[in-house]
Amino acid sequence: MEWEEQESPAPIGVRFRLNGREVALEVSPGESLLYLLRERLGLRGTKEGCGIGECGACTVVVDGKAANACLMMAAQLDGREVLTVEGLESPVGLHPLQEAFLEHHAVQCGFCTPGMLMSSYALLSCNPKPTRDQIVEALAGNLCRCTGYEQVLEAVEAAARRLANGRGR
Amino acid sequence: MGTELEWISRSVPRIGALERLRGMPIFGADIQLEDCLVLRVFRSHRPHAKIMELDVEEARKLRGVEGVFTARDIPGKNLMGLITKDQPLLAQDRVRFVGDPVALVAARDEESAQRGLEAIRVRYQELPSIFSPEEALAEGAVAIHDKGNLLHRRVVRKGDAASAMERAAVVVERTYRTPHIEHTYLEPDAGVGYREWDGTLVILASTQNPHYDQKEVAGLLGLQEEKVRVIQAATGGGFGSKLDLTVQGFIGLALYHLGRPVRLVFTREEAYLATPKRHPLTIWMRTGADSKGKLLALQARIVCDTGAYSSYGVAVATRAAIHATGPYEVENVEVESLAVYTNNPIAGAMRGFGVPQVAFAHESQMDLLAQELGMDPLQIRLRNAFQEGSSTATGQKLGSSVGILECLEALEPHYREAVSSWKGSGGSRYLRRGVGLGAMWYGIGNTGVQNPSTARVELDDDGRVTLYIGAADMGQGSTTVLAQIAAQVLGMQPERLRLVVADTARTSNAGASSASRQTYISGNAVLEACAKLAQVLLTEASDMLRAPKHTLLLKGEGVADSTDPQRSVSFMELAQRARKKNIPLSWQGYFDPETTPLDPETGQGIPYATYAFACQMAQVEVDVLTGRVRVRRVAAAHDVGRAVHPEAVKGQILGGVAMGLGFALMEEFVPGSTVSMKDYHIPTAADMPEVVPIIVEAPEPTGPFGAKGVGEPALIPTAPAILNAIADALGERIYQLPANLERVLEACIRAGHFPSMEVK
Repeated sequence: MEWEEQESPAPIGVRFRLNGREVALEVSPGESLLYLLRERLGLRGTKEGCGIGECGACTVVVDGKAANACLMMAAQLDGREVLTVEGLESPVGLHPLQEAFLEHHAVQCGFCTPGMLMSSYALLSCNPKPTRDQIVEALAGNLCRCTGYEQVLEAVEAAARRLANGRGR
Repeated sequence: MGTELEWISRSVPRIGALERLRGMPIFGADIQLEDCLVLRVFRSHRPHAKIMELDVEEARKLRGVEGVFTARDIPGKNLMGLITKDQPLLAQDRVRFVGDPVALVAARDEESAQRGLEAIRVRYQELPSIFSPEEALAEGAVAIHDKGNLLHRRVVRKGDAASAMERAAVVVERTYRTPHIEHTYLEPDAGVGYREWDGTLVILASTQNPHYDQKEVAGLLGLQEEKVRVIQAATGGGFGSKLDLTVQGFIGLALYHLGRPVRLVFTREEAYLATPKRHPLTIWMRTGADSKGKLLALQARIVCDTGAYSSYGVAVATRAAIHATGPYEVENVEVESLAVYTNNPIAGAMRGFGVPQVAFAHESQMDLLAQELGMDPLQIRLRNAFQEGSSTATGQKLGSSVGILECLEALEPHYREAVSSWKGSGGSRYLRRGVGLGAMWYGIGNTGVQNPSTARVELDDDGRVTLYIGAADMGQGSTTVLAQIAAQVLGMQPERLRLVVADTARTSNAGASSASRQTYISGNAVLEACAKLAQVLLTEASDMLRAPKHTLLLKGEGVADSTDPQRSVSFMELAQRARKKNIPLSWQGYFDPETTPLDPETGQGIPYATYAFACQMAQVEVDVLTGRVRVRRVAAAHDVGRAVHPEAVKGQILGGVAMGLGFALMEEFVPGSTVSMKDYHIPTAADMPEVVPIIVEAPEPTGPFGAKGVGEPALIPTAPAILNAIADALGERIYQLPANLERVLEACIRAGHFPSMEVK
């Protein structure tokens, strides 16, 4: 059987900001944001847990909102602003969310952690003083099999307090 | 050693948390190797069939495909299995479940690998398929393995259960069923491998047991063990599933033939299809008590569906039998437990090894007995709970660290408050409230066999201490706890320790991270290694400071004279002095818990050196119109001996309650129809109740600083407590897990809580 070269679809040019830096590249129409981040840009902090938008391990922040990178197409990125876990830390140190996760023992295996951080980041950027219920709602799309969520929720509450007191960005 | 414990019972920052918070590329799928080939596994679509013809020639010829391997390409012994070797890496001539690996494709990229898979041709001859243990044990059933379909039969017999049952004032007899459960660790199995300049095959993989992986891969490939090096990559949860080989054997095989870097990352669907599940159990149980509620006799027959290959089936059947009484003294016991092959997915180890399933049965029985006797559920548990000196079903006398009464007592105020005030203060006709208890015991370590751990500590001339531990940390936090133990013995900060973890070339065997054994067993090995080094340091310091050893203290990476703290000497000086005298500064520690094998006929013996105990209380609200159960609060009292890291213990309890809640209410893996995460729901943050962890410490004299374990115990009491709470709410009991909407609604209807509607 002869293997035929498939005609590859025309690439699409996109220009967007990724962790504060301008990025311009060509992507294929079927390429997910997750693939672009992990395989082409080498940002492997964003995890693939299911590939179908069920687990939230690939959560990133796009234009201030949490998004599953496995479901978003790279071609949709033009003109947008993307933040991944690698962009949380600043030259002055860990983001208050990262600090709070550390202090509240919210990390066990750590595979869901980047997604949890990004969902929390999206929440706190639009709602700096969330209630416990609002935090639960914001994190309900991020599955964790280790922690039972409590220490994660406590960490987000602590980070919100810290951010409200002017610590962090 | 100081008298005060500086680093024990202290929640230090978790080792490895920072890398994870920064999103560093430490997991198997994150590791980048140059010129790396992609591996994919061709798997059976048939549950049971003979392979008449397997043609991989077309696939081999494809552009981008670098190799296609079948059983014929396995140079060593094509058999694996932790307890019983009955599973080929690639099917030899027969497939036994949907998902059984048949061939391995190595290709330059995912697309080529996919085309390779599609070009493989198999001609099968169907064999009769068996999907239940009952069919498997029926006369004339096709034998799934040469030795037949019964993998294991374990009997535990003490006293005379049949005649004691006749003396009982009340007897309850029921049958309980539990489903397949999928571990659903967040990280799908993944690993990479490369060949070292000297030919050593290096495999970095998500695993719970690198030393076992090494042995197994070496056996498959016919290599000496030192020619295979397994390093644990960061592992995103395991819960027992990553004890068996997942990607390691395939990576090893491709490396053996191709010598080029390879990677194998399971999709979630592949992890669901291919990896072991929790055993479904059918438990028939008959329990008899006297009129005061004292348990007199227990009889049980337990059937475990172990699926196509044995994995940990023997251990699960055995543990289920041993623990069938629950944490209660019963003089007359007769339990038979079977592990049976079927063509279902492989069932293996999952957090609790059969004990969560039997706990559902024994705790339901306790409530049924209490109900018959008009007793309080807490009271009947208090009356029967193990105490020091109690004898277990296997005839083991419990010496010390028997914390079940303390757990029950710690829960009592929560329970009384829930029953007397919470239950009556809310709810409605259609939203019924209930309170339930679930108790458990759990033997720490492997059952009635040697399962030692080793560890090593080394002081170099610069005064730096390196701790070598073989134990895999999948997120439970063993590395942190073991570092705390070393830090305590050596009087130094844990973060100052250099750590080498779970690398077969650099660390010695610590056994599996399973059976809640690492804190107790590896903790003791670390303790011993560090105590030996401490002795050397004290001896040298005693010489240098001209002070008796008993006045000396290890502190701040040095040794100080407690009578005159100004006088001290650093680890560096001590190391250099010892080195000159040829005194070793590298020390090995070893610990194997004292057990005896169980008698094959009666199951009598000492299966475990120590046990963890726990009791949880659940408060639930049941919507009788929809069958929806909301768990409002869980109080969880756990005797862990000593909480080396209290926040990590709490983390285990909180996570265990979540997993137990899933087991109770929503999780069910249905072979053939559960394909992806869409079909299998685990609890989210929104499903979680308020959880109150209560740490009980009944110190274990043989444990490191009194510690036992908590990993599995955390999960075990939750489902029983929730199911008992549902029964309390409805006055009607559910005997099959999960108590999903349908089953709860059925129970509501049976109980007459669902409004009967007139059909017009």
